[in-house]
Amino acid sequence: MTGKLHATHAALIGIILAISGFITWSAVSARASMDNLIVVAPVAAAIALLSVVLIVATLVKPAPAPAEDDDTEETSDPGIWGDMLLLAGFAAFCYALTHIGFDLATFLFVWAGVVMSGGKGWWQPPLFAAAFTALLVYGFGSLFPYPMLTLVL
Amino acid sequence: MIDQFALSQALDLLFSSFTPWLWVIPGLLIGLVFGSIPGLQISMAMAVFLPVTFGMDFLQAMLFLTSIFTGGAYGGGVTAILMNIPGSSSSIATAFDGYPMARQGKHNEALGLGLAASVVGAFVGYMLLMLLIQPLAAFVLKIGPLEMVVVVLWGLTLIATLNDSALSKGLLAGFFGLMLSQIGMSTTGVMRTSVGMPYLIDGLPVVPAMIGIFAASELLRLRGGTYLVRNEDQRDISFGRILKGASETFKYPGVLVRGSLLGAVIGAIPGVGSSVANLVSYGEAKRTSKTPERFGKGAPEGVVAAESANSSSEGGSMTALLALGIPGGAATAVLLAAFSFHNIIGGPSFIRNQTDIVYSIILGNLGQVALLAVLGLLSLRLLGLVVRVPLSYLVPSVLAMCAWGGYGITGTIAGPLTVAGFAALGWLMRRNNYPVAATVIGLLLGRMMEGELVRTMQISGGNPLRYMLERPIALILFAVMLLVLIGAPLLKAMRRRRATEV
Repeated sequence: MTGKLHATHAALIGIILAISGFITWSAVSARASMDNLIVVAPVAAAIALLSVVLIVATLVKPAPAPAEDDDTEETSDPGIWGDMLLLAGFAAFCYALTHIGFDLATFLFVWAGVVMSGGKGWWQPPLFAAAFTALLVYGFGSLFPYPMLTLVL
Repeated sequence: MIDQFALSQALDLLFSSFTPWLWVIPGLLIGLVFGSIPGLQISMAMAVFLPVTFGMDFLQAMLFLTSIFTGGAYGGGVTAILMNIPGSSSSIATAFDGYPMARQGKHNEALGLGLAASVVGAFVGYMLLMLLIQPLAAFVLKIGPLEMVVVVLWGLTLIATLNDSALSKGLLAGFFGLMLSQIGMSTTGVMRTSVGMPYLIDGLPVVPAMIGIFAASELLRLRGGTYLVRNEDQRDISFGRILKGASETFKYPGVLVRGSLLGAVIGAIPGVGSSVANLVSYGEAKRTSKTPERFGKGAPEGVVAAESANSSSEGGSMTALLALGIPGGAATAVLLAAFSFHNIIGGPSFIRNQTDIVYSIILGNLGQVALLAVLGLLSLRLLGLVVRVPLSYLVPSVLAMCAWGGYGITGTIAGPLTVAGFAALGWLMRRNNYPVAATVIGLLLGRMMEGELVRTMQISGGNPLRYMLERPIALILFAVMLLVLIGAPLLKAMRRRRATEV
């Protein structure tokens, strides 16, 4: 039985190829001279070659027998949705920082993050989130050389 | 090599009163704090506290700013070990083995190893600076773009050794990092891939990318666990075990000395510095090790190699500043600003006419190194408490700090968004056993590589091979690199074959 390309692996190779292709196209259309393509051109060729090698090797290689190990819990598929949810929440939080304010965005993200990561109790997560937000705003934030938008603090 | 009269004057300047040392301990603490928080950089700390030095005399100001530098270099290693978050690019290689050690419950030993290697590395770096400042300055002046290309290439070869599963995955990850480094305006002023976003003109911000791909992706992987160290008995912060780790550093004298020497030499090259030094040193330690398969899984030699090199590169970077008046990086640029505040111009005349001050700065730094050992040991008990925080609270809190750190670097939404984008990329890479460090190395060195290659092509008139024959330092560096990359593994394979035949 031959191996198959997992969805996340296919997505990763697809992202690498798409971004590399776009950068190469953009560099070539900006100026197709040697000084502009001195790194881009050989690297693009290497990425294309390595992607083909990896895809072929994965498809040709026999599928590994299922093995039991300690990390099964961390890499199993049910975890993927939780990871993706937290990742989406993190992306939304990053975007919200300069839109709804650093304090409110941090408070909401930390509270939700603690609950999603298995934090118990109904009052501990929001209390911790509030204390941590205050610490960040008055500690970390005071060291920033840039203005920082806050809604409450 | 040492001007005895100037040395005695320097000792008098330093030890006739307590004034020059007054700001050293606060400086080390500031450096430790800034270095250990992702997103707060040493150069930022030095810039923030630069105005404080207005009222100080020159020597006091120098000792204060360099103590921030010294403390910060070590502080970056602490988070790399405990949370897989390199505080700066100079601590990337520290995370490779330091973090696996921490996960195995050997965080005390790893912190001890890192502290001792940092102290020894910084000590060697400054001793070399003291002994060789004049010949080193002449050497640095002879370094051109071709020599820089060879050094950067050396750093890039580490990519090939960072393969957890397949070499092709490591190479693809590294090449992808190189490709990402080409976003933004090129060395020759050509705009590429900015997609109409002004944030991308200078390329992707490297530190937020590094925070995202290393830290955020790792935190996502930790989600659902209980503590960083699973075994409850091993979560203690033990002074004895930290000291045991520190003493273990000296079991690897070869790695320690090689890392310190490599760091001092590479650190002396302007623009290269500690970010390349720790990678080259780690790569060399792995290549020359009898057990290279242990690297990346918690090998103490890996921590020693990385920390000794990044700390000794600090002494190296001071060479160009003191002897030539050229800042080797952002931190030394702030030091140069402090020079100008005090109407002092670095360079050959500074060394010739104010040798006593130069020696005072170097000796003062040696004193700081000793203080770092004490302060580091005391602060590790506090910093190490992170292993006792439940992951359900640690993961979202540190993720939030990562985003804040991204903003702290760029001052715009581009920072946090870069962290988020690279967190997703890192998560995908880790799920499929791609080494995320290879992408960071490519991203970090790609821009430097392009600039030096273009300059080499321009200087050589399009014939870099002929030009190389006219550059003895480049030839020697290239020969050493080939010898190390090809000769050493060949020799090892031959020895192994001979051993199996016997």
